[in-house]
Amino acid sequence: MGSSTSHLSKENVSEYQELTFLTKQEILLAYKRFMELYEDKKNPPDPRVSRVSLDKIVKLPELQSNPFRERICHVFSTSELKDGSLSFEDFLDLLSAFSDSATLEIKSHYAFRIFDFDDDGTLDRNDLEKLVNRLTGETDDTRLTKDEMGQLISNILEESDIDKDGTVNLSEFQHVISRSPDFVSSFKIVL
Amino acid sequence: MEEHNSENFLRLISVESTGSTLSSDSCEYYQTEIFDQLPSVQASRPVQNRPTLVEPCEAYQGGPESEELRTGHLPRGQRDKVSVQPLKQLALCIQAKREASERRKMQLSNIGFWESWWKNQSIKRKRAWAQMGEALSGLLPWQHTLHVIEGKFGVGLKAYFVFFRYLVYLNLLHCIFICGLILGPTVFLKPNISELMKFRGNDSILDFFRGSGYLNRSLVFAGFYKQNIRLLNIRCLETTLLYIAAILSILILSLIMVVRRTTVGYKHTWVLGKRYNMNMSYKIFCGWDFTIKDPDAAILKSSFIRNDLKLLLEEQRFSLREAQRTLGQKVRLYLLRFILNMLVISLLSGAFFLIFFVTDWTLIKDNSLPENLFTEYLSPFTIASVNLVLPEIFRKISAFEDYSFTTQVNITLVRSIFLKLASLGFFFYSLLISPKKDKRLCTENEIGRGIYKMCIFNFLMTFCSALFFNYPRKLLQERYPTSFLGRLAGKQRFQIPFNVLELVNCQTVLWMGVYNCPLLPLIGTVILVATFYIKKFIVLRCCVAEQRLFRGSNSSVLFHFMLLLGLLLAASTLAFQLYETELGTNNMSYCGPFDNGQIVFNATAECMNSLPSAAQKSIHYLTSEAFALPLILAEIIILTSYVSRRQANQRAIERLKDMLVMSSSDKRFLVKQHATILRRRRNPRRVCAAATTDDHPLSHEVTFSRIN
Repeated sequence: MGSSTSHLSKENVSEYQELTFLTKQEILLAYKRFMELYEDKKNPPDPRVSRVSLDKIVKLPELQSNPFRERICHVFSTSELKDGSLSFEDFLDLLSAFSDSATLEIKSHYAFRIFDFDDDGTLDRNDLEKLVNRLTGETDDTRLTKDEMGQLISNILEESDIDKDGTVNLSEFQHVISRSPDFVSSFKIVL
Repeated sequence: MEEHNSENFLRLISVESTGSTLSSDSCEYYQTEIFDQLPSVQASRPVQNRPTLVEPCEAYQGGPESEELRTGHLPRGQRDKVSVQPLKQLALCIQAKREASERRKMQLSNIGFWESWWKNQSIKRKRAWAQMGEALSGLLPWQHTLHVIEGKFGVGLKAYFVFFRYLVYLNLLHCIFICGLILGPTVFLKPNISELMKFRGNDSILDFFRGSGYLNRSLVFAGFYKQNIRLLNIRCLETTLLYIAAILSILILSLIMVVRRTTVGYKHTWVLGKRYNMNMSYKIFCGWDFTIKDPDAAILKSSFIRNDLKLLLEEQRFSLREAQRTLGQKVRLYLLRFILNMLVISLLSGAFFLIFFVTDWTLIKDNSLPENLFTEYLSPFTIASVNLVLPEIFRKISAFEDYSFTTQVNITLVRSIFLKLASLGFFFYSLLISPKKDKRLCTENEIGRGIYKMCIFNFLMTFCSALFFNYPRKLLQERYPTSFLGRLAGKQRFQIPFNVLELVNCQTVLWMGVYNCPLLPLIGTVILVATFYIKKFIVLRCCVAEQRLFRGSNSSVLFHFMLLLGLLLAASTLAFQLYETELGTNNMSYCGPFDNGQIVFNATAECMNSLPSAAQKSIHYLTSEAFALPLILAEIIILTSYVSRRQANQRAIERLKDMLVMSSSDKRFLVKQHATILRRRRNPRRVCAAATTDDHPLSHEVTFSRIN
């Protein structure tokens, strides 16, 4: 592996090209950006193991104004500590899922996991409430009132909970997403 | 059941929730442990976290033993899909993909040499295609601009600019037709062309604004193409026929392209959207625009979403209230609406009369009036001002009609579209029928001139409003934000609907004029490109994003639908003009490609007669009733089959939905039942479980080994 050099080796780049939706330029740019965040300047990072902490990642201009930035890091992090820190490969995973050419399938899968705040595999009322609060803003005067929230959530469940079990699961979620042509163009982060 | 019990398995229970999850009946069924092991849940579980991988990808579940159990439970279809999909389309982390690729290579080495070679080749081919696509998409102009706009203002405004770029492409395509079929033959074959194109003494630069003098003689207008030249001595290859062929192919091509774009969007939003009403879910699940980078834009977006949701909920309550209206209130409301609609109609007819009158007056004005730019541009000016004032009035009127907010916006938009297109139609009509002051003037050129001026005027207005209105306003607001004027000026918003209306208007004018002024697509392309940069300047330099949430797809359907209306208007004006020419009313002098008694219909007929008899016969058959009847029958049969198929599918969908609800409730019942049984069995062991947790107070994963 080219981990001993400060640049990515050719094999690495072409492997990443194979495994992600990113182009060569995008991978190199991602590497450059990752290196800017990486602290330990003396030891070049191992793309699999060396990590950049969540606090630093969320300060990226592409993520800083995103209300789901912490969730995004947690979803793409493979850290055993579950601290949301990203290795370079995790970072590539993130960019790949949010890239222009990623499929609707991939994008909706990750969107579902980002919105599933308690990681239990379904979007229940609590998840939906958190999701709505993130969208409208978290302060007290930007939140919806309790009545509005109740009305909204029962509307959502009415519409998208097809099997009527009180939660939205992945396939129901993808069912909704697949009918929205806007989703692919807005679920996108490009460096 | 027994088998499962004898197995050792790990599971995840949060220590804190152990008691509450297990003891209370109120726990949701999806929080029970058996739920995690259901095949359907396994299939949709984040694959990234499945323990197939020994390394860090393993996040929270299970050990190596349970892997077999899990993959064994994977539904068959799922597994097949996984093994053929390209690696990058799997929702896995890179490490997992790497291992998957190793596994695939193993499989590949098992299969024959040719097959593996073939697979490798197909991968290489795909990669080459992808590279080519990338290279081509790099050639698209304005990619970067669109990206910047998207980052600052979101998808809605980008849709406007994408629409803009689409129109530029469309006009470029038209230019190819014009150059190939009209300009090329005429320029090469027409004698003394340089003589005509010479700049004479009495020509002035103002001619370019008035479309008179030099421009009137040049190849811009239809009069230039008067002479009929036969190419290669073939009867059907005449400049006149090529001329009409170019115009018709432009219109038909535009029709096909616009209809295609409209139906694609329509299918997405209306057909699918209506039956499965998922408005709110869309707004929540697809609400955030992840492309936004600017913190201000993010705050703005949040407030859009909030306002939009509040609006939607309010509208829901409004419809509830609406259902509770009493008869008296209803009668009063309908009366009010009727009166307001009459008002709208009278305003519209007043506007049309004004346009008609002004155009008429400028065309027959007596020579005592000075012939200056003001009178030349009076009718475009009237149309523009009418279109500026009336939509505002319509907006005010619709507020009184007690519709819900969205209906108000839509109704204003529909009325404005109608006004815009109809005023163009009236303008054209008055150009066509008003008697000329000078009988020697060429009718086609006169109409072409009118439309040319309209086009130039629209552009000048965009330019001037940017330079003298938007930019100073922005400067004022920037420099003196606290002054009275600065506060009065306020922040500028880019009103997408009205800007789209402007674009549609521009394109409609281009289509309407193409017969009388064949160089209009070329001029139009230049104008559109310049306008693109002006709009970009306005948006990026002077505007803050619009308050109302504008959804990309919905709006693009609306854009293209308006464009379609414009195209239909243009086509009908052309048909009307050709019909007028055929009738030869108000004995005007026609000087376009079809002059000296020759009109479109007999020109094509002559061409037909020169064809070989077999071709003639087949064309006659294709245009006869004998062919029309079977055609209609075939269409009816195809349509009927589609309708019945749709109905059958609909029934199947309903049945499947019922089945889904049924099986889900079964699942819930079984899971709950299982949890209850488990709880009963475990109760005596509770103490033991507590002891284990004491041993590992920090660990959240508790191992239960249950050996019966």
